[in-house]
Amino acid sequence: MSTALRHPLPNGATADNPRGASEFRLSVEQVSYAHNANPSQAPLFTLEALSFQAKPGEVIAILGPNASGKSTLLNLITGTLEPLSGRIFLNGFETRTLPVRTRAQRIALVQQESRLLFPTRAWEFVMQGRHAYGTGLRFETDEDIAIAKNALAQVGASHLAERRMDKISGGEKQRIILARALAQQPLLLLLDEPTLHLDIGAQVDLLETLRKLAAENRYTVVVVTHELNLAGEYADQVVLLQKGKCLRVGPPATVFQRELLEQVFQAPLSVEMTVSGRPRVTLFSNK
Amino acid sequence: MRTLTPARLLLRCGILAAILFAVVVLALKLGAVQVSLYGLGRDLISVLLGRTSSLSSDYGMIVLDIRLPRILLGIVVGASLSVAGASFQALLRNRLADPYVLGISSGAALGAILALIIENHLRLSPEMAGLITPVGAFIGAALTIAVVYLLGRREGEIDSTTLLLAGIITASFLSAVIMFLMTTLSGNNLRGMAFWLMGDLSTPQPRSLLYFISFGFIVAAGAIYTTASDLNLILAGEKEAMHLGVDVSRVRIVVYIAASILTGLAVSVSGAIGYVGLLVPHVMRLIYGPDHRMLLPASALGGAIALVIADTLARTITAPTDLPVGAMTAMAGAPLFIYLLRRRIA
Amino acid sequence: MQRAFLQLHRALLLLAASAALLVSLPLCAQTTAPAPTQTTFHEVTDEFGRTIRLPLVPARIVSLAPSLTETLYALGVQDRLVGVTDFCDYPADAQKKTKVGGMLNPNLEQIAALHPDLVLATKEINRLDTVRALDTLGIPTYAADANTHTVEEILSSTRRLADLLGVSGAGNALSAELQGRLAALHNKLENVPATRVLFVVWTEPLISVGQNTFVADALRKSDATSIVESKQDWPQISLEEVVKLQPDYLVFAASHSESGTRDFESLSNLPGWRLLDAVRNHHFAVISDAVNRPAPRIVSAIEDLAHQLHPAAFVEPGAPEKQLPKTPDLSKGSIAQSAASTQIVSQECPCAR
Repeated sequence: MSTALRHPLPNGATADNPRGASEFRLSVEQVSYAHNANPSQAPLFTLEALSFQAKPGEVIAILGPNASGKSTLLNLITGTLEPLSGRIFLNGFETRTLPVRTRAQRIALVQQESRLLFPTRAWEFVMQGRHAYGTGLRFETDEDIAIAKNALAQVGASHLAERRMDKISGGEKQRIILARALAQQPLLLLLDEPTLHLDIGAQVDLLETLRKLAAENRYTVVVVTHELNLAGEYADQVVLLQKGKCLRVGPPATVFQRELLEQVFQAPLSVEMTVSGRPRVTLFSNK
Repeated sequence: MRTLTPARLLLRCGILAAILFAVVVLALKLGAVQVSLYGLGRDLISVLLGRTSSLSSDYGMIVLDIRLPRILLGIVVGASLSVAGASFQALLRNRLADPYVLGISSGAALGAILALIIENHLRLSPEMAGLITPVGAFIGAALTIAVVYLLGRREGEIDSTTLLLAGIITASFLSAVIMFLMTTLSGNNLRGMAFWLMGDLSTPQPRSLLYFISFGFIVAAGAIYTTASDLNLILAGEKEAMHLGVDVSRVRIVVYIAASILTGLAVSVSGAIGYVGLLVPHVMRLIYGPDHRMLLPASALGGAIALVIADTLARTITAPTDLPVGAMTAMAGAPLFIYLLRRRIA
Repeated sequence: MQRAFLQLHRALLLLAASAALLVSLPLCAQTTAPAPTQTTFHEVTDEFGRTIRLPLVPARIVSLAPSLTETLYALGVQDRLVGVTDFCDYPADAQKKTKVGGMLNPNLEQIAALHPDLVLATKEINRLDTVRALDTLGIPTYAADANTHTVEEILSSTRRLADLLGVSGAGNALSAELQGRLAALHNKLENVPATRVLFVVWTEPLISVGQNTFVADALRKSDATSIVESKQDWPQISLEEVVKLQPDYLVFAASHSESGTRDFESLSNLPGWRLLDAVRNHHFAVISDAVNRPAPRIVSAIEDLAHQLHPAAFVEPGAPEKQLPKTPDLSKGSIAQSAASTQIVSQECPCAR
């Protein structure tokens, strides 16, 4: 697949979506998932039918407490799991039907930990993102090297290129993992609880970077998180989940309603709007 | 960012190949009988130039008919075991994996014993009789591969942990069967088996067999090498590898079958030579890093070098008695392994 | 990127081709043994059914088994023997010959360097792999002793070997002498009831001999029966069974009589062995380890055992204890000792026959 039309033209046309017809890059339609879907028994739904759409350049937050089905939704989008019902489209192509290599060229996943059996250097790690653009045995081209360098620069980790992965801090590792995802030059960037092990400054850094990347490179970014304020501050859309049910989809201002949030997170809180139009949530103690 | 280019790969392999060549020349020279390589080389050249049609010299037979086939066997076996070891370490995501961890050597041993038992009841021509032990061993290995694969699946796909467990269990079971059979075998067959179990290159194999295992090595090692980049990613995590575009189940099957074939071929002709498949990949990783595009060819060449050296020592240290080469690899390998463990590398 | 791949492919192919070329050249070159001098050859079938081609009178012989080495000396052809194994210890002169390694793993190079025109091997001790390897090298190898289950077969094998080496006369003479001695022994022992014995090969675990072995046959020739009824060659038996069967005597084979006595002493100290009458009464016999080798010397061991078990049969009525026949085959020093142990045995045991 040529890299010429990697980034979509202003009208949304790309090499794989020439018509650029649909303005939505990611389209999740009535997707549900259940464990042990046994025809003779009623299925145990991990995720009940939900739908949402995302445009290029948007940052979507999938928000909810633990065990609300966030990871399941993410796995459905990446194609690891097959939905019980419904379909997921990426630029008009159903993700399930894509071969593994093509999927890796379009969807990139950033997970929290990366356990390497034999630790490599950071730039080698980032280079792994280019794997999908070749056959089983491939040697890196100059183009690959340029893209990897660029990815490291975009996450502000160029100085870490020669360091070994087991010798850098958690936050730095997170950036390298993100750089690898960027090296894949995807259309869709998925992140699974990326802020879990980061301190506050790093958390803000990361979200800022994501917003910038989404805007500049027209990625669609989907972030799974339970951090209310980060979602409120940086997301263009929020998908609110509780116990497998999608309670609301929309911009943070509409989703962050006090009663709704209290019900979902089981904690007293208050919501106020800031000057920029973003909601801010304050938690109280239970007393 | 120094990436691995084909040129760099070839250069490093060239260096290793040169070392191997030097080791082979040395191995041809050393042995229970003194041989003048200069004289032999001179004769070889005169044959090449067409002056004489045959090498009629004392040492000719010793060097060419005895030592050279044994050295070539050592090269193929050493390369096979090392590549298989590196592959299993990647496949099972386990540093301690070696080619025998999935029970292949026990299966081959059982096949060899059964072949010996059957041989007593059959009237075979000399060529067939020479082949029956390796063939029996290979059949035993192949059946073990199939059984462990069936046991090692989870939800229809190979799962590393389940595979490892299945292999270990199968290996112990087969060892018990072997013990039982060995107590009921008659004396002279038993003695031959003891050598086989220790790992022994001193039994000259028929030429056809040598060609067969060389061909098998090229095919199987080549198949594994085509997945070298995939293996790098699989080591980062199987789920991640899939997200990065690796067809994990296909790679697993290819590597499993090819590495098992390599092990089966090696064990069929030389018995269970230990430590080579375990340690050579670790040493090569220390030198060249864990990139499998470099590691696999380096392991092959390194394994060949290691085994030829070990075999040469085995037949010169206590000349004229031959030590089994498995004893040499164990004596050298165990301390090296301890050293690597202490350096937290293995 | 594609170009780099192609270059790599081409380079690898070139490398592989040149390597293959280099390596196969020596393999293609013919090697011949040094041109033989004027000798006549004939074809012989060995005891395995293999056909080999060797000179009428082999002049350079390598023996791969101690029993064969002994037989060669007994036939008087030791001058033609150029190579022996590390374990060929009898007679003492054999230890001076060039060693070619063990019996299971002889060094092929060493054998080849001796330029033998005949290599002798046995099925019992050597591996078929070795024989095949020598075939591949073009060295004629004769595998003997395919079926030595009885002493008779040992003798006939000796005759065959003599024929092979061109000394049929010596072979027949030796065979006749040995058979004469066996016949004389048989006469002496005709009316003597057989002693029930346990032949101890190894003490821990307890291993004896099976009925089909030539050792068992040797025991029978000395008018002794092994209490172990087994078709296996080296059956492992339990002490319980031995206690149940209560052999009259324990028989040990040792290269020196003292070590045999030591074996017995250590055995009698092990738990459970005191339950045996034979142990309590010190009823044990030690014979030379020639009994374990299918060679002419086994007849001397048979005679020795017979004297130890049935001394009464050899005493001339009224005459003093008959001196043992001069058998030079017993290892040095043990003539006196076995006579001594015979005396000990006869003093301590009632030997009521």
